[in-house]
Amino acid sequence: MSLIQIKSLKKSFQGKEVIKGLDFTLEQGSCIALLGPNGAGKTTTLKMLSGLLEPTEGRIVFPHAKKGEDIRKLIGYLPQFPVFYEWMSGLEFLSYVGKLAGMTSKQAKEQSLELLELVGILGAKDRKIGKYSGGMKQRLGIAQALIHRPKLIMLDEPVSALDPIGRREVLDLLEGLRKDTTILFSTHILGDAEEVCDEILFLHNGEIVESGTMTELRERYQQDKIDLYFTGKAEMFAPAFTNHELAISVLQEGNRIRVFVKDLSLARKYFLKMISEQNLPLEKFETGSMTLEDVFMKVVGK
Amino acid sequence: MSQWLTLLQKELVEMWRNYKWIWVPITFILIGVQKPISTYYTPQIIDKLGGLPEGAVIKLPIPTAEEVLVQGLSDFSTLGVLIIVLSTMGMIAAERKSGVAAMILVKPVSYQSFVSAKWAGGLLLLWMSFFIGYLATWYYTGILFEWIPIADFFQSYFLFGLWFSVILTITLFFSSSFLSPGVAGFCSLAVVIIVSLVSSALSNWLEWSPALLTSYASEVILGKGIVDHTISASILAVFIILILLGFGMFIFKKKELAS
Repeated sequence: MSLIQIKSLKKSFQGKEVIKGLDFTLEQGSCIALLGPNGAGKTTTLKMLSGLLEPTEGRIVFPHAKKGEDIRKLIGYLPQFPVFYEWMSGLEFLSYVGKLAGMTSKQAKEQSLELLELVGILGAKDRKIGKYSGGMKQRLGIAQALIHRPKLIMLDEPVSALDPIGRREVLDLLEGLRKDTTILFSTHILGDAEEVCDEILFLHNGEIVESGTMTELRERYQQDKIDLYFTGKAEMFAPAFTNHELAISVLQEGNRIRVFVKDLSLARKYFLKMISEQNLPLEKFETGSMTLEDVFMKVVGK
Repeated sequence: MSQWLTLLQKELVEMWRNYKWIWVPITFILIGVQKPISTYYTPQIIDKLGGLPEGAVIKLPIPTAEEVLVQGLSDFSTLGVLIIVLSTMGMIAAERKSGVAAMILVKPVSYQSFVSAKWAGGLLLLWMSFFIGYLATWYYTGILFEWIPIADFFQSYFLFGLWFSVILTITLFFSSSFLSPGVAGFCSLAVVIIVSLVSSALSNWLEWSPALLTSYASEVILGKGIVDHTISASILAVFIILILLGFGMFIFKKKELAS
């Protein structure tokens, strides 16, 4: 069942097209990572979905929303840099937001306490938000996105600003949330996407350049590679591999040459032979298959 | 409705937490009472400091109670404007600039309620503070000079308050149009000053200008009652308030909350 359908969504700022036509559908109960380098348009996309920005073109459809229903009821949103009323306490802010979303004072308070517990800052409920640390604000931000039990929560770079421990905790929190909510979150960190989500949308220069589940992507990009490490710069050795008939593509970076190959066992044989014949200063020879990072570099590099 | 009350309640609590409920009334009191007190004590102070040199024939005319109160009011119209603008200019602009407005408005909150609750909160603070300040002025004028009829006090209070409300709404309008509280404040002051100057310079043609409500309030105190055009100026003031509030909401809704 699809929860939200995005149809040829476009956005321009001062005539410059930032989002160049997005089409995708989010299934209920799924977890999707919006992956892309900085400036790809992740935040702009999320802002349009949350109603903060008006799309220049295209439509965002919630098939299940009743006619005339405020779609903001169905969405919880955590901006990249959440800001709060600093003079309120954490509990006050959550209750306030809960009441705005239509709960009674009592409901709002109960729900707030529950969420504060869930995100692990119940101990600081009466402290002023101005005195919260960055990690606590991020958790409070997640709590406020969940307060009205939305069908979809959208998180903009929820872990980018956190230290490793905070990052770990928030990722675990997201894992826990997956059970009852649809999650869409943006990140530029591949590992995070891979860990929490089962589906990935690659965004680059305002376009979706690749999408699919982890397994789909792996299959599609199932490709063997050989990493060769040399003493010193590997630049001058690269042409020998680029022109090789078994090589599909070659990446050179510092003292490493990465060759994607058609037939691993054959390539291994030929490459090793070539290296010994030409007496190349090889340090390390490694075989393997493509990681998500390679997929990322590949689609972004296009 | 309950959502609107929640928004209003937040405004009132915020004004309490950042002491607006204290400093705004106190400033209004200080502005108001300064006139009757200084007028009353000036001759005595001069006396205490050794009096006027012999032969100097300077007569300090003793003003009537009505004149003192009218002067007190005119102090309100200059310094009071500044306080209103300063305490209102950030109400929307600052929240949008910091991003907290976006945090609130991704929730199912009506944009109209968001703006109008702030407006209502500002008006409550204004009418309360001005009442306390003006009451203090009236009281000091009463004990130091003569008592002005309380009915005149209330009539002038409402006329003046209405003009203040126009100023507040102008400021809120600019606050919803600009991201910077400073720019909003500057524009508001500029508009208010120009309207006031033009209205008083051309008072024969612009009798219906809300800016003249200040002089109509003075007429009330001076015993001339509600003069012609007071009603039309009041009605126009209410109209301007409603229209600016509507435009403010419209612009706020139209302007994108994020970029």
